[in-house]
Amino acid sequence: MTPDPARRLTRRAFVVRCAVAVPTTVLATASIQAQPSSTVNMDGNYYFPVRPPAKPDAVAQLDEGAVIALEKTLACPCPCSLDIYTCRTTDVTCTNSPAIHADIVRMVDGGYSGDEIVSQLSGRYGQRIRLVPSKSGFNLVAWFLPFVAVGTGGLLIARLVHSWRHAEQAAHQSQSDIRAISVQATSDEMERLNAALRDDSR
Amino acid sequence: MILVGELSLWVAILMAAWTTTVSWAGGYQRRPDLVFSGERAMYATFAFTVLASIGLWYAIFTHDFSLKFVASYTSMNLPSVYLFSSFWAGQAGSMLFWTLILAMYGAVAVYANRSRLRNMMPWVTGTMGLITLFFLLTTAFGANPFERLDWVPADGRGMNPQLQNPGMAIHPPMLYFGYVATAVPFAFAIGALITRQLDGEWLAAVRRWSLLSWFFLTIGIVLGMWWAYVELGWSGYWAWDPVENSSLLPWLSGTAFLHSIMIQEKRGMLRKWNVTLVVLTFLLSILGTFITRSGVIESVHAFAQSSVGSWFLGFLIVATILTAILVSTRLKDMEAKAELESMVSREAAFLYNNLVLVGIAFTTLWGTLFPILSEWVQGEKITVGQPFFNSVNTPLGLLLLALTGIGPLIAWRRASTANLKRQFMMPAALGVFAVVALLLIGMRHFYALVFYGLATFVATTITQEFVKGIGARRRMYQEGLAIASVRLVARNRRRYGGYVVHFGIVVMFAAFAGLYFKKDYVAVELKTGDTYSAVDPWGDTWTFTSEGMSTYNTLNRRVVAISLKTTRNGEPMGTMLAEKRQHFDATGATTFEPSTEVAIKEMARQDVYVFFSGLSNADTAVMNFHFNPLVIWVWIGGFIMAFGGVIVMWPQAERRERGYVAELAPQHEGAMAGAGA
Repeated sequence: MTPDPARRLTRRAFVVRCAVAVPTTVLATASIQAQPSSTVNMDGNYYFPVRPPAKPDAVAQLDEGAVIALEKTLACPCPCSLDIYTCRTTDVTCTNSPAIHADIVRMVDGGYSGDEIVSQLSGRYGQRIRLVPSKSGFNLVAWFLPFVAVGTGGLLIARLVHSWRHAEQAAHQSQSDIRAISVQATSDEMERLNAALRDDSR
Repeated sequence: MILVGELSLWVAILMAAWTTTVSWAGGYQRRPDLVFSGERAMYATFAFTVLASIGLWYAIFTHDFSLKFVASYTSMNLPSVYLFSSFWAGQAGSMLFWTLILAMYGAVAVYANRSRLRNMMPWVTGTMGLITLFFLLTTAFGANPFERLDWVPADGRGMNPQLQNPGMAIHPPMLYFGYVATAVPFAFAIGALITRQLDGEWLAAVRRWSLLSWFFLTIGIVLGMWWAYVELGWSGYWAWDPVENSSLLPWLSGTAFLHSIMIQEKRGMLRKWNVTLVVLTFLLSILGTFITRSGVIESVHAFAQSSVGSWFLGFLIVATILTAILVSTRLKDMEAKAELESMVSREAAFLYNNLVLVGIAFTTLWGTLFPILSEWVQGEKITVGQPFFNSVNTPLGLLLLALTGIGPLIAWRRASTANLKRQFMMPAALGVFAVVALLLIGMRHFYALVFYGLATFVATTITQEFVKGIGARRRMYQEGLAIASVRLVARNRRRYGGYVVHFGIVVMFAAFAGLYFKKDYVAVELKTGDTYSAVDPWGDTWTFTSEGMSTYNTLNRRVVAISLKTTRNGEPMGTMLAEKRQHFDATGATTFEPSTEVAIKEMARQDVYVFFSGLSNADTAVMNFHFNPLVIWVWIGGFIMAFGGVIVMWPQAERRERGYVAELAPQHEGAMAGAGA
């Protein structure tokens, strides 16, 4: 059997593309690893003061529970990978999370809302201060893609089952067509057919 | 001995290269002499890897600080048990340990199949040899534990205090046993694809090894959760950290495979999907290794950034491409023998289960890698943490829990309305009853209500199956309750072992939902004699009275301990002792940052978790008090899952003689299953 030349060409092209893609990807990833961190300040710490002026006639909009809830959605900028609240209450060696907590309390007293505080902190630290990607721009992809993937998988299964059932129904239909034709035979012919099927001669 | 170990590493490389070369050549040319030589070389690779490992352990126990690894992770005053476990405390040693397990699995796989699957085994042996060769080369050139220092320090740096924990002595080996075991089904998949034998004994071999991998990963993950809970002090056990996620990924895809393989066994379906899952599980374990060891993603659990990451990335890409090419050339050999007849059947339920498991795996991988992607696209690395994973994976987890109850009870091929009513009427009624009862007693948390409703539903389906099976045996064989129960499980270990695993899952999920009601009291200052009162989630009032602090030296650390007398609603509940530790080396110089040892009072209803945060001044301790409902059930659930895994894995003589039947008639299965015959 001779392989289809067009198919062989496609496979070869695939291998060639892979040969280009592999080193490119390795180099790209290596370059990511080599990038210096831009989140360390001049002193080698991770903390940057965020102290906007208090609003006129400031009234605190968040109570202690709301501050804790807010801090649980914010990442400590040091490599501990904990949220601000957990870090400041457990990691006694971290100086960043208590300092950021102090900034948050100052902003709360200055009349800032939760969203405004997050916005102020994001402006200084960048998006990495948030433990959840924002629901805007490219970050929206982070939220909807998992559900799109699962939904697409579900649709694929449904489509697969539908096509299988369709094929099965078509097979049943063709069998019933044969039976319908055989009914058109005369009773004598039917009797002879049944006798043959029963194999009366045996 | 150290030199012997070092030399053995290099000889093992040669042996692994020989294993691959002659095994594949033997398979290609159909020459038994070459195949035999390859198999012997696999044994030799294992033997030399053992020698290399003994060499490193010898260096560790004799405190040979001329080796960089020994000086970096051990010290003169490190307790013996941690000297033993320091083998896998650092990058280089853990690479050798990984290779040791891999070589051992390779040797066992070759030995166990010495008279079976003869066409396939050369390819399996060669693939195992190649993977072992990769790990040996990475160990020798990327992270060599035998690397020497220019000078010999008087003492080593010691082991990170957080790793000086019994859980950490067992947790990494368990995870490694699980991770590495994914390589064997992968090797069998490669062998099966090359020889185009994707049924029969291949299924049996792959399933056995996948189960082993699942079993060890389960234990490893639960032990890791326990370690994080008792050691890190933040009163939680799972933070969706990239390294935690890395261990979960192959577990999820492996679990999906263990379900979908049943469809191939019973109906001859999903052959392409099963091969894909076997390959995916192995690749995810390599990806997890890359994440853990490359430093590309920040994590408290990760090893320091090293060149090993590039090795793994290269291996991952090459393995993915080659496997994809191999699979694409064998698609016609993997056509299904049967087709799905109904969306309401056990096959369909297992498909949905696969969809959800792979969906959770995808979400977890997506969230883990999204920071890298965002840096590529936006030029800014964002953080994806616990709140994201909880909000996306919780609905999927609930769906999975529901399917845990539905899948095993629904009929094969096509479920009738009568079948559905008979099987699910009682469990569904009890599930709804549980939700109503919880609402009446004041529970209002939506997810918790759904969790407990579904947990009741699934627990009832499982109980119902056991009751039916035991009842059938008692009627048919006139057996007593105990004997009927034991024989029911013993005669059909896969089915009832699987139910035990599912019950463990239910217990775990119920415990997870308990954390919705967690209560925390932080930064509480206590002087000697001070009392602090706190109300737990059950409405009980606890008091903690400081009996004072004591300072003493023990083994390799200086300890400051605070003793707290506790009461619940006025009743004495004993004394809790929380510690702050500062480790030091043999010269008395401090090593590492101070660490903490939490005090935990474990009860069925909740854990009282006390964390000694520090001192605000000489006589005032700063404490955190946490009430964590149902946490002990996480560990019990994990134990039940592992126990169920043992039941499923336990060899069954009858099945071994009969071999695997690709298409078991459903009516036969149904008739036999009721009595567990």
